[in-house]
Amino acid sequence: MVRKEIKILNKYGLHTRPATALVTLVSKFKSDVFLEYKGVKINAKSILGLLVLAVEPGANLIVEANGVDEQEVVDDLDRLAQQKFNLE
Amino acid sequence: MHEPLTVGKIYKDNRQKFKIKCHNNSIGYGRVVTSSKLNRPGLELAGYWKYFDKSRIQIIGKKENMYLRTLPEEGRRKIITKLCSSGTPAIIFAHGAKPSDVFLEVARENNIALSSTPMLTSNLIGQLMDYLDWNLAPSTIVHGSLVDVYGVGLLLTGRSGIGKSEVALDLVERGHRLVADDIVKIIRRADNVIIGTSNEFLEHHMEVRGLGIVDVRQMFGIQAIRQQKRVEVQVELVEWDDDANYERIGAKVNYVKILEVNTPLVNLPIYPGKNITVIAEVIAMNHLLKFMGKNIAKDFEKKLAAKIRKKSRMAMLEQYLKKDFE
Repeated sequence: MVRKEIKILNKYGLHTRPATALVTLVSKFKSDVFLEYKGVKINAKSILGLLVLAVEPGANLIVEANGVDEQEVVDDLDRLAQQKFNLE
Repeated sequence: MHEPLTVGKIYKDNRQKFKIKCHNNSIGYGRVVTSSKLNRPGLELAGYWKYFDKSRIQIIGKKENMYLRTLPEEGRRKIITKLCSSGTPAIIFAHGAKPSDVFLEVARENNIALSSTPMLTSNLIGQLMDYLDWNLAPSTIVHGSLVDVYGVGLLLTGRSGIGKSEVALDLVERGHRLVADDIVKIIRRADNVIIGTSNEFLEHHMEVRGLGIVDVRQMFGIQAIRQQKRVEVQVELVEWDDDANYERIGAKVNYVKILEVNTPLVNLPIYPGKNITVIAEVIAMNHLLKFMGKNIAKDFEKKLAAKIRKKSRMAMLEQYLKKDFE
């Protein structure tokens, strides 16, 4: 299991487009990926789950991955978050 | 899984129901409540503190209030100070009683919210305990869909993208009721009841792959949804695996623990062309039959065993008669 904290840098938080980018990335991997925010843990492959978190700009999320490619998915996700999900 | 339950939140949520009125300008609203029990500090006021639980909210009823009045000024201040500095989260006066000036002064020093309600003490305790039980119950979030099928709460789970939402949508289309899709918040009431609800923000929205987000309530109407439902059976959708062993008889029930509650689990292999919706309905009906004491698989096993026994007895009789020469 790999755990890492990522920061959401997008100006409007984790709205529909960055959330879609996140789910698309995570779904490519085999591992089970979870995101934890304010004590609520959701499956990162579920778009509705992500939207429900309503993550505001500057917030820190905890990524947790379990599976064969756990390290890659966490690293890729971290990179994607730093690039502001290629949106801004 | 909880945001901590503060005194301020309890008052805000119940302001209308309990007609709660705060007497000291919302001080002590940040205190966190961790116990769902309440205490009437009758014995403590009389001086017995041995089993005092400081995590409980204190309820001052008519009796306690009247007793305090009988005490001399000095003793009263002492006992109130002890109560307020005990670490209790809040003190509520029932019967519309108002805290005395001494009480207000001591509460301010100790940062404790004092409030009163016109309700009867026993009614307040009943309703407030119900609220606290509900809000402090153990909870978890399950990735799946919860549908009420013939009154049975079916929790559909399985890996992302396997088609839980599609099955739920199909069930709704056949007249069953959706409780939650994608994110099912489950809480435990009592010791063996788990209840699923949707997220307040998500409500009855659903994601259908290739289509996007739809709102079941808007689309299918109010009869297609439910606010909460007891989770009774978990149906795990799994991909068909030639090597796996699937249940063929069904006399033995598998269980899964959700919040420490044993819940029947059905592992349902899927493949194209298999109608999961109908099977889900059958699972629900089978659960109802079992609940009413009719276990089809077990009855079938019994019938078969009886038949085999009868056959073997006949064979023995034949053997016996064959040897009966004359």
